[in-house]
Amino acid sequence: MFEVRSRAGKIALQVIITLMVLPFLFPLIVMVQESLSGAGFSNYRAVVDVPGFWRFFLNSAVISAGVIVIVYVVAMLGSYGFAKLRIAGREFYFWLLLACLTLPEVVLLAPLFVTDQRLNLYNTYWAVILPLSALQIPFAVLLTRNFINGLPDQLFEAIRVDGAGSIATFRHLIVPLTRPIAAAVVIFTLIGAWNDYLMPLVFLQSQSMQTITLIPTFFVGEFNNDQTKILASAVVTAIPEVVAYLGLQRLFERGLTAGAIK
Amino acid sequence: MDVISSPSAPGRHPTAAQAEMSPEEGAARGGPRRGLRLRRVREGVKAASGLPWILPALLLCVGLIYYCIGYTGYISSLNWDGISPNPASVGFGNYTAIFHDPLFWGALEHTGIFFAGTFVAQTALGLIFAVLLHSKVRLAGLYKVIVFVPVVIAPAIMAPVFREMLSPTGQVDQVLRHIGLGMLAQPWIGQTSTALPSIMAITVWEWTGFSFVLYYAAISQIDESVVEAARLDGAGNLTVIRRIVWPSVAGTTVALGTLSAIGALKTFDIPWLINQAGPDYATNFLGTYIYQMVIQLDHVGYAAALSILLLFVAVVFGVVLQSGWRNRKVMQ
Repeated sequence: MFEVRSRAGKIALQVIITLMVLPFLFPLIVMVQESLSGAGFSNYRAVVDVPGFWRFFLNSAVISAGVIVIVYVVAMLGSYGFAKLRIAGREFYFWLLLACLTLPEVVLLAPLFVTDQRLNLYNTYWAVILPLSALQIPFAVLLTRNFINGLPDQLFEAIRVDGAGSIATFRHLIVPLTRPIAAAVVIFTLIGAWNDYLMPLVFLQSQSMQTITLIPTFFVGEFNNDQTKILASAVVTAIPEVVAYLGLQRLFERGLTAGAIK
Repeated sequence: MDVISSPSAPGRHPTAAQAEMSPEEGAARGGPRRGLRLRRVREGVKAASGLPWILPALLLCVGLIYYCIGYTGYISSLNWDGISPNPASVGFGNYTAIFHDPLFWGALEHTGIFFAGTFVAQTALGLIFAVLLHSKVRLAGLYKVIVFVPVVIAPAIMAPVFREMLSPTGQVDQVLRHIGLGMLAQPWIGQTSTALPSIMAITVWEWTGFSFVLYYAAISQIDESVVEAARLDGAGNLTVIRRIVWPSVAGTTVALGTLSAIGALKTFDIPWLINQAGPDYATNFLGTYIYQMVIQLDHVGYAAALSILLLFVAVVFGVVLQSGWRNRKVMQ
């Protein structure tokens, strides 16, 4: 996009972009560096040795996986309906969904607390998985609907001429063709579910149910904050997400490029 | 009628080609009953109804979230501490109280400043990164990852890092002293004058990557030949950006504006975890105010009224921005 011919110009461009990136790198360096200060890698040992650490890790993984599966299935079905099928009052339903984007988690706390206890969902995975999914679905549908809108109608006509009903169309066209945008949905849903702090804090009371975002609180005491271990646990919590992002990066970018939000 | 090109569902009907006849034609040949049947087939053939497909999304979102909104609306008419079994109804009392609450107006003002500042900064930075990383620079792949990684990491995880960095003995002030700008060193999050800008800077750090990936994706779709033609006509880099790139990504900008506005109204994690909405409410937002009202002060009814007002503002914002977007027909 930006074209520079001269050698000096190229160097200047490189310097400018590097200087711009540095402030984004700086906090990450501070995080890793401080997490190693003092006792070095023993800080990480201390984090992993928190009683039940692997259990928290597992809980986070189960909750994230549950949310991702629900959001993926529901968003794919819904966006196919919104994008390519006939629905009376379609935009009304779409707005009904989009309005959910505006809802802050805090608003859900009191009503869900009462309902969870009535339905015996309190302190189960569902108490976190269901509201988190509900909060993630609108954005996932928004992304995926735009993506499917961008797929040529001729494809859908062709497969219909070949005798496929809407279920077969979904299986043979939508599922394989939406893989790039699915990667974006998975990444954003993973970020939302794995990073969530408030829902597990309020709805998962017993120690064995808690999630990895609550680990730093083990090192925040009334009188002494063990800063290095808080940062070590921050690094440990962030690693799975960074790995997932790097693994899906190519698909993710392709999904967004193919017309997610234009 | 062109049978080949019109959509049909032959799998279900061996006589699908016949079904493509116009109903009148069918009626003429097979009598009125047959015509009726064919018309029904034809309607089924056009495109199946999508309602069953969107039902799961509606059930889960509308069911769960709208139920919660309704419940919150009910609570907002009560003077309730969240525990007592027989709360008194106060009608719109909570709402009138909110309109006389300086902390509410303060929170709204912070939200406005926060939105304007972070949106402008993220848009500018995101677009510049997207343009520069689409150019021929080294390490572009690495830089892309560095800019996006903050989006991936939870605010809850980064908060302790920023608390340390922005403290009077923290890395930011150390760097300032190191490069001879020691007079700028100050307790960034500890004083009212710089607390809000600090929160905004942290937010920009977290979310620029998001603007960046969307702009990066949008720029990938600009037709190369248009850019080349403009260059042949003598357009420089800045002209290309102003006349071609910026208009082509307008849809993305509006979408990001909508999401930023909603995000600003929902802001909770960063001001709360960094500063507990302080000092002296300098970083109080609607989200943090609601949280304090519910969890710390037990004014559940008042908090519910605040939540309803927040939702109202957010929906109005969303509708205004989105309909502007639709009108421009940028979104397909």
